[in-house]
Order: sequence, then C-alpha cells, then structure tokens
Amino acid sequence: MNYPVWELYYAGGGLLIALIAVVHVYVAHFAVGGGLFLVLTEMKGLREKSPAVLEYTKKHSKFFLLVTMVFSAVTGVGIWFIISLVSPAATSILIHTFVFGFATEWVFFTLEIVAIFIYFYTFNKIDDRAHLIIGWIYAISALISLVLINGIIAFMLTPGDFFETRNFWDGFFNPSFWSSMCFRITIALVLAGIFGFITAVFIKDADFRENMVRYCAKWLIFPFIFMVLFAWWYFASLSDASKAMILGRSPELIPATKIFVWVLPILFISGLLMAIRMPGKVKKPMAFVILLIGLVYMGSFEWIREAGRRPYLIPGYMYSNSIIVGDEAKINKMGLLGTAKWVKHKKINDDNILEAGQEIFKLQCIACHSVGGPLNDILPVTEKFTVFGMDSQLNGQGKINDYMPRFMGTRQERMALARYIVEKLHKKIDTTETRAESSVKELSVDIPPFDQKTDDYILLAWSSVGIYCMPGSDSWLKLLPPGNGISTQLIRRGETPEIVTEGVDITYDKTLNPFPLFTIKAWDKDKGKVLAQTSIAAPVSVEMGCKNCHGGKSRAGEENIKDTERFLDETIKNILAVHDKMSKTDLLETAQKEEMVSCQSCHPDSIPGAKGNSDLLNLSTAIHGFHANYLTDREVDACNACHPSSSNGSTLCLRGIHNEIGLDCTSCHGNLEDHALSLLVAEEKAGKTGAKLLIKHLVPTKVNSISQIKAREPWLNEPDCLNCHVDFEQPESDETFNMWTKSIDELYRSRTDDAGIMCQACHGRTHAIYPATGIYGNKRDNIQPLQYQGNPYPIGSNKNCKVCHTIDMEDEMHHPNTLTMFRNVQ
Amino acid sequence: MDPSLPILALVPAPDSIPVHFGWLNFFFILTFVFHLLFMNAMLGCGIIALVRSLRGTQPDLFIAKEISLKLPYTIAFTVNMGVAPLLFIQVLYGSFIYTSSVLMAWYWLLIIGILIIAYYSAYLFDFKFDVLGSLTRNLSIAVCVVLLLVVAFLFTSNITLMLMPEKWVEYFSNTKGTILNFSEPTLIPRYLHFVCASIAIGGLSLAIAGKVKINSGIGKDSKNFEAMISSGMRWFFYATLVQVIIGLWFAAALPRDIILWFMGGNKFATPLFGLGLTCAVALLFFGFKKQIWLSTTAVVITVIVMVLIRDIVRLAYLKPYFALSDLKVEPQYSPMILFIVTLIIGIGFIIYMLKLAAKQKEEV
Repeated sequence: MNYPVWELYYAGGGLLIALIAVVHVYVAHFAVGGGLFLVLTEMKGLREKSPAVLEYTKKHSKFFLLVTMVFSAVTGVGIWFIISLVSPAATSILIHTFVFGFATEWVFFTLEIVAIFIYFYTFNKIDDRAHLIIGWIYAISALISLVLINGIIAFMLTPGDFFETRNFWDGFFNPSFWSSMCFRITIALVLAGIFGFITAVFIKDADFRENMVRYCAKWLIFPFIFMVLFAWWYFASLSDASKAMILGRSPELIPATKIFVWVLPILFISGLLMAIRMPGKVKKPMAFVILLIGLVYMGSFEWIREAGRRPYLIPGYMYSNSIIVGDEAKINKMGLLGTAKWVKHKKINDDNILEAGQEIFKLQCIACHSVGGPLNDILPVTEKFTVFGMDSQLNGQGKINDYMPRFMGTRQERMALARYIVEKLHKKIDTTETRAESSVKELSVDIPPFDQKTDDYILLAWSSVGIYCMPGSDSWLKLLPPGNGISTQLIRRGETPEIVTEGVDITYDKTLNPFPLFTIKAWDKDKGKVLAQTSIAAPVSVEMGCKNCHGGKSRAGEENIKDTERFLDETIKNILAVHDKMSKTDLLETAQKEEMVSCQSCHPDSIPGAKGNSDLLNLSTAIHGFHANYLTDREVDACNACHPSSSNGSTLCLRGIHNEIGLDCTSCHGNLEDHALSLLVAEEKAGKTGAKLLIKHLVPTKVNSISQIKAREPWLNEPDCLNCHVDFEQPESDETFNMWTKSIDELYRSRTDDAGIMCQACHGRTHAIYPATGIYGNKRDNIQPLQYQGNPYPIGSNKNCKVCHTIDMEDEMHHPNTLTMFRNVQ
Repeated sequence: MDPSLPILALVPAPDSIPVHFGWLNFFFILTFVFHLLFMNAMLGCGIIALVRSLRGTQPDLFIAKEISLKLPYTIAFTVNMGVAPLLFIQVLYGSFIYTSSVLMAWYWLLIIGILIIAYYSAYLFDFKFDVLGSLTRNLSIAVCVVLLLVVAFLFTSNITLMLMPEKWVEYFSNTKGTILNFSEPTLIPRYLHFVCASIAIGGLSLAIAGKVKINSGIGKDSKNFEAMISSGMRWFFYATLVQVIIGLWFAAALPRDIILWFMGGNKFATPLFGLGLTCAVALLFFGFKKQIWLSTTAVVITVIVMVLIRDIVRLAYLKPYFALSDLKVEPQYSPMILFIVTLIIGIGFIIYMLKLAAKQKEEV
C-alpha cells in the first residue's frame, strides 16, 4: 500500500525469508547455548585438570567463532534485509516501535563480539580466571541478546494490549514473552549439545571421544525435557486464534505441525543413541544427521510461529499482505488502487483491467503466494476456477476460512484480480458462457383429449416440487433423495362436482427428457375403465452451478443440456475435498471407499425427514449460509449461480406467470444474503454454533439490520402467496421477503380452497404458475388448462366454471375473486 | 504511472518516532562514524594486503600476514558497527531507504551472500596464510577484496537512490528489484571517494598497528614493523592526495543548488565545508611528515566533518520531499534511557575485557 512491491513470482510466498530465517535462527540459538557450553566445558577441564578437555574447548571455540561470528551475525543482518524487502511496512512498524530495544540488543551484540574474539585469541595466553570471566561475559551477553530479541519476536505473535496503550514495555513484555523466552533458552542448550557433537566426533582418542560425546548428549537430553514443557506453556500463552491456526485451521500449517511433533521424539532418541559407545566412523555421520534433524526441528517451529499469526503479520493490526486492519473499510470504499501509492493504474477500464489485476495481485497476494514456486503456490489452488468462480472465491475469502485476509477493494477490482488470475496466470479463456439459442429445442406436446360435453371426469395433476435438482454425478453425492412426486385430484363433473377419493386407481406412463411428460390415468377400479387422463411434466434438472466454482469438466453431448451444465465426478470430488478441509470430515475417502455420500446423513433436513446430527446446521442453512459469503451483492445472479433459474440456462425453472411479469427469485425469497440470514438466524437461536461464523460477515439487503430478520425454517416457513395477493386481489407490492408462512398447513403446496381443491390443482405447481412459459415450449407446463378449457390460465378462470360444474356458477365458493376475467392474458 | 501524479505521492508515509529526531540523528551520526572508520580500515587494509600478497616478496608477505591476522575481526566490527546506523537510518529515513532497497532488492539481498563469502575468504587468508600456496592465498584475499568492493558499490547505489525519489519512477518499468542508480552522476565519484578514503585509512591503520607493536615491545622484529609504518604512511599520503581530487569531482557532480549550500548558501554547510578543506590540508601535511597520531586525530575529525557534510547533503537532496521535523513524535523515553545506560555499561565491560586480555601470562 505504502511501499513498492518486489515482484517475486517463483521465489515468492516467503521462500527467501524462510531460507534465511531458518538457518539464522538455528545458528543464532547455538550462539547462545554454545557460549554457556564453552565456558562450562572450560570449567570442567579446569576442575578435572584435563588438558584434553581444555584443548577440545579451544578447538570448539574456533568452530564456534567461525559459525556464529560469520554465519550467524551476517544472516542476522540478512533477516533484517529480507523482511524489509518483502514486508517493508511491517518492518518499519517493528523498527520504529522497538528502535531502542534493537539498539540495546546491539550493545550486547558488540559485547559478544569483543568477548568471543578475546576468548578465542587469548586461550592459554591469559590466566584462567580472567579467561573464564571473558567467557562468562560472552555467555551472559548472548543470553541477554536472546531475551531482548525474544521480546520483539514474541510481540509479532502476541502483541497483547500494545495497540491500545502504545507502550514499548507492553509490547515487549507481551503475553508470550516469558514462555517463549524459556522455550528458546532450552532450545539453545539443546543446540549446544547438537553442535558439540560435530566437534566431539572428530576427537582422535576413542575413549576421550566417547566421553565428550556423552557429555554433549547430556546437553541435549536434560534441557530437552524442559523444552517440551516450555513448548506446551508457550502454546498455552498464545491467543485462541493462533492456537486454532496451529491446530489445523490453517492448511498451510498442517505439515509444519506434523513435522514438529514427529521430529521431537526423533531428536531425543538420537541424543540417547549418541550416548551409546560406537566407532567414530558411525558417529561422525550420525552427528551430521542429528545436526540436520535439529535444523528441521527449528525450521518447523519457526514455520509454526510465523504462520500461527495468520491472517496477520502483526495480529489485530496488520494483515499478512501489509494492509493495516483499520484501513479495510476505506479501501473497500475508495478502492485498493485508489489508496495504494505505488500503482500505475489508479482507475480500471476495459483496456487496462488485466494490468490493474496484476497490480492488485501484487499488493494483496504476492506477500504470501508464489506463482509456480515451492511455497504457497497460487496456481494449484486457483486452477479449477472460472472467472465467476474466482470472483466468488475472492468474495468469500477470509470470511469463513480466516487464515487469509479478506479481499479488499471494489467489486471492479475484485473482478480485475479474478480475471488476471484466470486469464493471465492460468492463460484460460473465460468459460462463463451464455446459452446458445440453438442448444435448446422446443419439445412437442400432445394435449390429451377432453370433451366438455361428454366427459364425466377431469383429472388435475402437479408435481410435488417445481423442479427437482440433482447433481449429474450419480455415484458420489446426493443432495436430496431422488424423485419428483406427482399428486393428483380427480373430479367428477356435474352441477355439484365431487372429488373422487375411492374406487379409482391412478397410473402413469412417461417419456424421458429434461421436462419428462407423465401420462396420468384415473381408473375405475371395479370396471377397469379409464375415467380420465391427462399429462404433466415433472421436470428434473441437472443444471446445477457447482462447476462454476468447484472445477471439473463437463459431460458433453447430451441433448438439451449445455456442455458446461452437467458436471462430473471431478466436481463432486472437489466439493467433498473442500468440505473435508474446512469441516475436518473424510467424505471423499468415504465416497471413494464405500458409498454415495448423502448430505442429510449429517445435516438435518425436514423434507425427507432426515434427523442427521442435531448439533449441525440443517442442510439448507449450511449450503445457503456458506455460499452466501462467497456470493454477496449479486442479487438474482447469486441464485442463478447454483440453481437452474438463469434465463441463459437450459432449464429456466421459474417459468410461471411471475417470471413473465418480471419477478425473479429475490422478489419472494430476498437476495441470497437475506435468504441465508433468515435461515441462519433460526439456527443461531436454536443454539447451533456453526451459524455464528457464517453470519459474521453477512449484511442484509432487504432490511436494515440482522435484528430485523425473521427467522425461518427451510421448507416450512416460506413466502405466502396471500402476502401480496391480499384477499386474492391484484397485489400492490411485488416483494414479500421476511413474511413467512407459520406452519406446513399454510404452504401453497398443502393448501386447498374452501371446497377442498388443492391450490396447485388449479394454479399449477410452485414456480410454474399458470399461465406458464418455458424454453421447451409454453404448452409443456400448461397442459391441463389447455386440455380442459382451451387456454393456459388457471383452471376455472375466465368464468370457466363448466370445466367441473358443467354449468355457469354465480357464487365465489372456492375463494374470493374467482368470478373475474384473468388479468395477465397472453 | 499516471504522468500527472507528483513524485511526492510515491513517498511512503513515515511511522512515528519515540524520541525527538535529534537524539536519533545523534546516535546515527555517532555510530556511523565508527562504522566508517572500521569499514575504511577493513577495505583499505584488504586492498593493501592484496597488493602485498601479489607482490609476494618477504617484506610484502610480512605486511600481508600482519593484515591477515586482523582482517576477520575488522570485518566483524565493520558489520557490527554498521548495524546501529542502519537501524537509526531506518527510523529516520525509513520511507526512503525501504523504497530504494525494494527497487534494487535482488542486489540488496545479494550483499548478505557476498559478505559471507568475503568473510570466510578473509578467515581462509588468516588461518591458512602459511599453509596455502601463493595462488590460493592471492585468490582468497582477491575474492575478499573484490566482493567487499562490490558491497561498497551496492551500498553507494542504494544510498544515492534513496535520496532521489524522482528516479523511483523506473519502478514502473522494472518491478523485479534490479534497479541500480547508474544514471546518477555522483554515483562513481561518491563510490571512489569512499574507496580512496579506505585506502588512506587502511594505510594509516597499518602504520598504527606497527607503531603499537613497537611501543608495546612485542614487535621483536622492529625493522619489519618500521617498514610497515612507513609503507602505511605512504599509502595514507598518496591516497589522501588522490582523495582531494576525487572529493572535488564528487562536489562538482552534486546538483547546483546543493553546491550553493556549501558556497555560502547555508549557515551550517559553508563553515563545515571550509573545515573539511582544512582537514584535507592537515591530513596531507601530517601524512607527509609521517606523524601517525596527529594524522589519526585529523582523520577522526575529518570523518566526523565528512559525516556531518553528508548529513547536510542528504537533507538538501530530500528537501522537496521530507524534513526530519516532519516525523511525528509519540514520546517514550524510557527505552532510550535503557539503551544509554546499557551502552555506558557495555563500554565499561569492553574496557575491562581489553585490560584482562592485555595481562598476558608471563611465559607467552
């Protein structure tokens, strides 16, 4: 934001910091423990009056000098260099806050240098006491250096209340200061033993060598026990957020934590092994292997410490990408490019959108992600995305998975970044397609025969759901139990018509296509005679948008299904893998090993009556609540991203009169944020812990605040038709979010008129209200009105009472406003 | 970049400082003087050792070996004394030096690797001086010196680039961190000014080392040490002579408005410049007379004067963009008091240790 960004692609993702820091920290801890090792070993030599021990100490001090003075000192400056190149803003905060802490540490660093040079060059040349004093001055200076730098490093992980008080000492004596200090001191002692092996194994005299190797092993083994205890204390002193990151919330940390836990006993056992007498030929390579194990141990610890801060560099103050937490709102309003200093494109237009995307990538992503490099490579984790999917991922990033910062910037900037990643980094052309007009063919419908004069019965039928959605991958996942039920009412015509419920059989024949037609027949049970017949479409759609974000190839070549709509196992596998990663499940493994995964086996769902695990969010809430975080501010496009409701798709599930007059999903259900919140609020009230995280970043659009959202249960509390059609009259409003039916009896699909005729029998099923239109032809969803009254309007409308009554009627006995002419004529 | 955007808009906003900038500047200048003295001695002695080692006669090798013994810890102290001013410059001029460092990031980072190799070469030259064949010996010191010269050049490039935000726009055509400030006319004279000063001070420190040996009675072979003194003083004198010319070249290459500061345009700059010229004359005089201690005193004064002049030049360069008084102070003095107390105690310990070290066992 404030500084130019060094464009590191392959070497990005903190690779350079890691390389320099890990080796430096390793040797620097040795420089602390090794100082005590030298002076205590010299004392041992003097006490035992052993010239051999003293000679060993002298040799070790030369090794020590070469390793610490050169490598440790210069790489220490190296860390400074590299952090100021990769994260200058954070380095600046650190330096400005702790300048005199660093300066004081520098005094001890100077003392260390003077002391160690004098110690090395005056070995055997000055009297023993004076030499030991110099040794102690070194050891204590080194220890104080560690204590000082520890305060500053611990601050980066647990700043405590520094950002409230802005007091140096609050930052320095932060919550993990003491535990981290004790842990690091014990590491330093362990490393003194490990580095001691390196010189001890080269001692020529075998007995003395064994003696000294054992002595070094004690340095490793005894502090080790304390080190483990202090590691635990250190962990306990971290913030809950950091603990969660370390325990697996951040996928980046899982390998590091595993390595740390595994290497710990290995290191201890190698220390014990070294104490066993073995020929020099064996011990020499062993010493170097242990040195390497120690490096891996130290590396994994530093990795955990670094990444335990995610999504921050300085918890609560600065994000990993150097954006200051308090600037987020300003950036979202004014744009990232508008607020950053070192950008070429302050404004985005069609010509510069990809270049601007690259600049945004630099500012927000490059601090942690490499491109094709070994650390946090951006390519594999974004490979599956289309531009739409990438944009949605950025939309939800950091909201549920909070190990990354949220995307900061305007909608346009988010799109620029999404396009840069998909079109430039992956060199993919955007596959967010629109339906080719020719891909959907109108299907012919034979309207079943009906003769108003002679037929005694009419058969009304509808499907139980407006459309049944299924993933195209049958063997991996089921969202709902398969099937679209068919309901019917058979009416015996006459001046007083009658609903026939006994003595008849209803059967069906079908033909197969996306809007399959079912021929329904009512049979006289006794006579085996067909009383009435009709047909309806009971649509099943595989047009689910999972592939938009979850990757996978499309299944091509099926008639009336667009290539990109039907997804394959790959998409499902990705969905299961994401679920596994985020919710710590093993669905993918289960699906691969055993059987199809059913969402309802865990998530309760009232429609099939699945009880699931009552601690978990119900299925609809989980799915809508999760995805709403990734699909904000997109109105009906958010619905169309998953459901088969897009006017460009191959289904167009909202195909009734409501679609025709310009309503869309959001008119009744609210935008996705509202829709999800209404479900989440109910689950939160029910005490489900999962709801809170999903609610956290959602902002309602149809009402002013979450407190105004009316909680609802999926499938049971739905928009009521009569909210708008008050007293069955022409509506004055076309929005009805937040007004729900109170029980299952009030639902459109369960209600009847005053004469016991189901609403759906005359008006058609949900989402396909008569007169319906559709991309497979307008007749397909209007068969019965066409069959019985020759127009597509609701049964009996336009005063067509004769359909059932055989005569004209004068009373509105079904519901008010029935004896008027239909308003929205086609 | 949008051409209408002023350069000023690129300069990062600085963070606040805990004490008045005067304190930080004082510590910066103080520690930088020490860094320069060590650095000059290190680089100069390295160059002299290389020349002597290449010549390879017995007296040459005597001097080269004497240097080899001291080179490693001179490097250690140069690095150590460099840490403090690098710390303070980040506090005072962080917005500038972080930016210029990012622009030359790969080179800036390269310094670390180069320094480690140079350092180990110096140790090789020291510990194996008598064991190595002349080729390897020459190679070890040559590698060390060449690498140190590269480090010096990279520092010069960064320190000039940080002063010139108008050159930062090159970032918009090169974001790879490989920008060096070659287009800057003062780059070469500034660099040579440092290298030449190093040769002079390297020569002087050689003479001082010889003198100390003779005075302490350790130098049994006083002829060799005498030769060391006169050789050192020759290097010192001639290098200073060349330095005067380079210094004038450097001054002439400065932008005109900055030169004018030193020609009566600024009440601090003009007298300091006069003092600097006087120092140069004194250095030449004492050098010619081979008066070691007077030369040393004059060198220390000169380095202080030059550091102050440098400070003024820096402020003059940055004047369109920044003044130290712009820095917001959020006062908190206790950590500085801790530092000052520690520094005083630390100096006490160093003196104590040096005294302990001086009391060598009688038999040695």
